[in-house]
Amino acid sequence: MSDELELLKKDWQKKEVNLPKLSYGEIHTMLWKKSSSIVKWIMIISIIEFLLPHLLYFLPQARNQMAIYDSVGLRFWIIGLTIIQYAVVAYFIFEFYKRYKEISVLDSAKNLMDKIIKTRKTVKSYVIFSLSLIFITMASFAFGIHLTSDLTPLTEAFEYEEFKKMEPEKLKKLLIGVYLAMAIIMPLIIGAIYFLLYGLLLRKLKKNHKELKRLEI
Amino acid sequence: MNKELEHQFVTDLETNQNIVHKVCTLYTNDRDSHNDLFQEITIQLWKAYPKFRGESKFSTWMYRVALNTAITLYRKSKRSIKTQDYESVIFKIKANEYDATEEEQLKLMYKAVKQLGDIDKALVFLYLEDKNYSEISETLGITEVNARVKMNRIKNKLRTILNP
Repeated sequence: MSDELELLKKDWQKKEVNLPKLSYGEIHTMLWKKSSSIVKWIMIISIIEFLLPHLLYFLPQARNQMAIYDSVGLRFWIIGLTIIQYAVVAYFIFEFYKRYKEISVLDSAKNLMDKIIKTRKTVKSYVIFSLSLIFITMASFAFGIHLTSDLTPLTEAFEYEEFKKMEPEKLKKLLIGVYLAMAIIMPLIIGAIYFLLYGLLLRKLKKNHKELKRLEI
Repeated sequence: MNKELEHQFVTDLETNQNIVHKVCTLYTNDRDSHNDLFQEITIQLWKAYPKFRGESKFSTWMYRVALNTAITLYRKSKRSIKTQDYESVIFKIKANEYDATEEEQLKLMYKAVKQLGDIDKALVFLYLEDKNYSEISETLGITEVNARVKMNRIKNKLRTILNP
């Protein structure tokens, strides 16, 4: 067999003549093309993940949020959660940047894969944290409505005429139902999109990483 | 980045472009993907170039970056030819090619190598490029013993193809 592989080796080295040949100019233009490596994609997706919850505040509906929170006595609870949220986000951005910086194409294949997976894990923890926070916010809101006897300030804050016309008890049940449903559905949908995105992006890497790991046993 | 560095890099790459072309040939199946991967490797090499300070030969350094890009960083996987189950490939070859001449044998071997997984391909590639096991193990991040074991397994696979 080694003879046959030697034969292949010899032929392989002869094959060089048939390879394409790029000119200086052609290579030079390539330097300024955009990379489409998975590391770059992880970076882009992560930035979107960090920014997205903050962009939502610019929606008119969301700007009214404080008045809505006030009306069910959740002001300090929400402020507390927001402070925790920013502290954790700051921590994650720091961790992410540190790990991202460690990724080097000059590493061995295994180390490179390890580091990409570690960076991705940081983002994954961040997403799980954010989704839990959405759940807690929505669920505590449903709970707050449940404890509030007078819903007038809440209906004022919502600016929906239909709410004012509804029977208070019915409205209360409806709002609790809507918030509980959102508490579950929102994290599920965002989570599904996120895991699908990363699943597709890292499929090849994971396969090769597994292959290298298998060699170690 | 200054002009001089840029010029140095393009000249270095132009001289050694065969290495990158060979990696692209192994990991892609059509001209478009070949060029696409070549470009991505070029970008990665250029980004890493300031860190290359001539401790090793430019070509040695290129192997690592090129393979890392092909195995790990490059996003698009070869779609044009669906990777068939390895056994079925062996079987098909067994059926049509009974008495193989040297040239046909080579053709079969190339075909078989192209069907290997990404990691196996990297091993065979480095082997064909006359790299020793210490270099192979360093590039992939596995131990030398494991590199040898793996290479023997690949040789066995190839042997099955050529001697049915």
